[in-house]
Amino acid sequence: MDTEMGQPALAEVQQIRVNFTTTSPDLQLPEGRTQLLVPADIKRYGLSRVLNSESMLNTSSPIPFDFLINGSFLRTSLEDYLKANGLSAESTVTLQYVRSLIPPVFQASF
Amino acid sequence: STHLSEPSMELRDFDETMQQWTSFQSKTHPLSLSLTSQLRLILTPSQSTKLSGSYRTGKRLNIKRIIPYIASSYKRDKIWMRRAIPTKRSYQILLCVDDSKSMGESSSGELALESLVMVSRALTMLEVGQIGVLGFGANTFMAHEFTEPFASHDAGAKVLQKFTFQQDYTDIQLLIKQTIERFRQARLQSTSRGSEDLWQLALILSDGLTPSAAHEHIRVLLREAMEERIMIVFIIMDDTASGKDKDKQSVVNLKKVRFMGNDEIRTEYYLDTFPFQYYLIVHNLEDLPGALAGLLRTWFAEVNS
Ligand SMILES: [Mg+2]
Repeated sequence: MDTEMGQPALAEVQQIRVNFTTTSPDLQLPEGRTQLLVPADIKRYGLSRVLNSESMLNTSSPIPFDFLINGSFLRTSLEDYLKANGLSAESTVTLQYVRSLIPPVFQASF
Repeated sequence: STHLSEPSMELRDFDETMQQWTSFQSKTHPLSLSLTSQLRLILTPSQSTKLSGSYRTGKRLNIKRIIPYIASSYKRDKIWMRRAIPTKRSYQILLCVDDSKSMGESSSGELALESLVMVSRALTMLEVGQIGVLGFGANTFMAHEFTEPFASHDAGAKVLQKFTFQQDYTDIQLLIKQTIERFRQARLQSTSRGSEDLWQLALILSDGLTPSAAHEHIRVLLREAMEERIMIVFIIMDDTASGKDKDKQSVVNLKKVRFMGNDEIRTEYYLDTFPFQYYLIVHNLEDLPGALAGLLRTWFAEVNS
């Protein structure tokens, strides 16, 4: 019996090239840090953590972010968004980040 | 045999690609000439000026042979040296062009096709051997077989017809596997005579982006290629200077996210794990002849030493 069923051993993690933008002047990324390769299965929470991290915005206390992709909020993984919209991991995705209006206590559910 | 493209393949309009080929060819002609003259020095071994060997007649006495000659009562009389004639080399060169969507969504695709025209023209003028063209993305396809002549506009336009940049994945691991396989077959079908030395060289034209998780697997395959004396050069098309790509960051500065076990998030340069030992980053087509020649010169120097 295959003990590794449902767990593809060598499934390659897809990467997506994202371009972060924002309209908030106080939250701009330094030049040269706006593009990043992220794992395709990343969701809002992961992206928010990435943006807060030392090598990105380097915030002193984490700011929860929401992400707009082609005008609507990202509520699935990037991978699922691309699939649902007939796109592939070959595309560079522009993500506009805004301060999340959702109370931080619920953020883990996204 | 395999001279037909895959049946499902969508081809671009022939007249259009003919026009494209002609326009790229005239645009890149001076660069092709420059590449040809640089490669001639590298790919065709220079006339050997060294005297060597032991022959009954020759140009100069081999001093080391004199004492054995006398000791053998003048029987071992191969005491002369001659100018060694370098072995004639022939080449099979595979131009691998990235047909994935990421190429079409940036201007890297156009740069790759221009480079393809420029390099293939230079190699055709050199007449050093056979040229093949392989397209890759999620799958690979032969856009031009080694055995077919590549001298006409017609052949070139037919190659361009097959590049649409619609493949939705970039599997460079598969590309290397296929490259090794195609070269194995090509070596068997090679028309070069026994006295000739067959060299196999693959030039990859791509934006360089393939999942980082595959880099280690690619490295293993590259060792396999090296053991079979297949040289692979990766030419990264990084056309970030043009207007269309002005928001696109150069691959040189591109980073990837890494989630560490302890909740820490790090970013690392994408190229830090790039598995190709011999690679170039080309921002402008004008840079390519000099950079490619320089890289090949280094490689041949390493191989010959
Ligand atoms: Mg690609």
